[in-house]
Amino acid sequence: MSDLSPGIELSSVRVTLGGRPVLDGLSLRLTEARIGVLGRNGSGKTTLLRLIAGLIAPDAGTVRVNGADPFTDRKAALALLGILFQNPDHQILFPTVEEELAFGLRQQGASALEADKRVAALLRTEGRAHWAKAPVTSLSQGQRHYLCLLSVLLMQPETVLLDEPLAGLDLPTQARLARRFAALPQRLITITHDPANLVGADRVIWLEAGRIVADAPPTEVLPAFTAEMARIGERDADADLAG
Amino acid sequence: MLTLTSPVETWAHRLPAGGKLAVVAVGTTALFLVGSPWLLGGALAGTALLYLTGGVAFSGSALRQLWPLWPFVLIVGLWHIWTAEVAQGAAILLRMVSAVALANFVTMTTRLSDMLGVFERIAKPLSPILPPRRLALAFALVIRFIPVMLDRMGLIRQSWTARSPRAPRWRIMVPATLAALDDADRVAEALRARGGAG
Repeated sequence: MSDLSPGIELSSVRVTLGGRPVLDGLSLRLTEARIGVLGRNGSGKTTLLRLIAGLIAPDAGTVRVNGADPFTDRKAALALLGILFQNPDHQILFPTVEEELAFGLRQQGASALEADKRVAALLRTEGRAHWAKAPVTSLSQGQRHYLCLLSVLLMQPETVLLDEPLAGLDLPTQARLARRFAALPQRLITITHDPANLVGADRVIWLEAGRIVADAPPTEVLPAFTAEMARIGERDADADLAG
Repeated sequence: MLTLTSPVETWAHRLPAGGKLAVVAVGTTALFLVGSPWLLGGALAGTALLYLTGGVAFSGSALRQLWPLWPFVLIVGLWHIWTAEVAQGAAILLRMVSAVALANFVTMTTRLSDMLGVFERIAKPLSPILPPRRLALAFALVIRFIPVMLDRMGLIRQSWTARSPRAPRWRIMVPATLAALDDADRVAEALRARGGAG
């Protein structure tokens, strides 16, 4: 897949949480269509995603998405970025499917009628028209993930940020979602601890303790990462405390 | 699970929410002005007919939603039998059940977002202090997150029970509160990611 313009630029970004540096002097230019961010728990990858999404501001350095600051310019950020959180229950804000889907459109300035129309059209093309009135609590975990994806896609962002998008799902659901992701025209930035999810990526960034260890195509990064994880696993590595 | 709007599509689903709420307001006032148990009985029968136009499944789920009223019916009924004011007791009970049933009918046939639309319009005079969109959003969030928080408390109770022979009772309040605050942070973030509360 060709590069999508003009991309996301981070320069000398630093983020500290509770006095501990989580990202430390990170500089990146992200323009590829399929980007993976790989790292262990606590490597700073979720913080990086939230930083790009404009949910948090850096303590130092700048973040630009197509030239706009996603933290201060929320209007631009909404048009450019969608984010899929790991736990759908942290993302779904409304009691029924159609209201959940319509919310983002209303926030982008669509009228209630227009939003309802687009929601109904989307559910029809997805073969899920019968979901419209369903209470979100009646959906399975996999269906909730799907609903979150649909509500992000409805807002037509240029880039979709995915936080461990396949974790905790059964295998058929994983396969179906992965196929759906692969077919999306958007730029995808996937963060995960599982190298298997990034085999098809254009570029993989390996993050450790808030710094970049490797930044290369998956054929280079994934084997090195897997070997290093096996090596750490041999030691009693999870006895270390952060900070 | 909090499923207030009935998935069974009735004719009343297609009426505007504001009109339905106005009818409930007028109807409830009328119920309080009428004293005769016969007239009130007629009102209850009328409300029951209203439900039946929505079909058997619709009426059945309405009955289940109204069932929690039974302790009140029992206590008020027993009291008036005790004081030998049966006609007055009947009037109170018929009035109460009809009013709740009527309001429930509107709840079951109105989408939450339409209901919120009415609140937004009514709250317009308050807009300098309280932006109506924000008020409506708060309503929706409460309805969405009550079941989530109940699930969360269930999980905490289970983790307690898995490691303690004693029942947790009030002791889950602190972890449940902290979990709710933590969830609130995440929800705030999700809200920001999709355009904020404005």
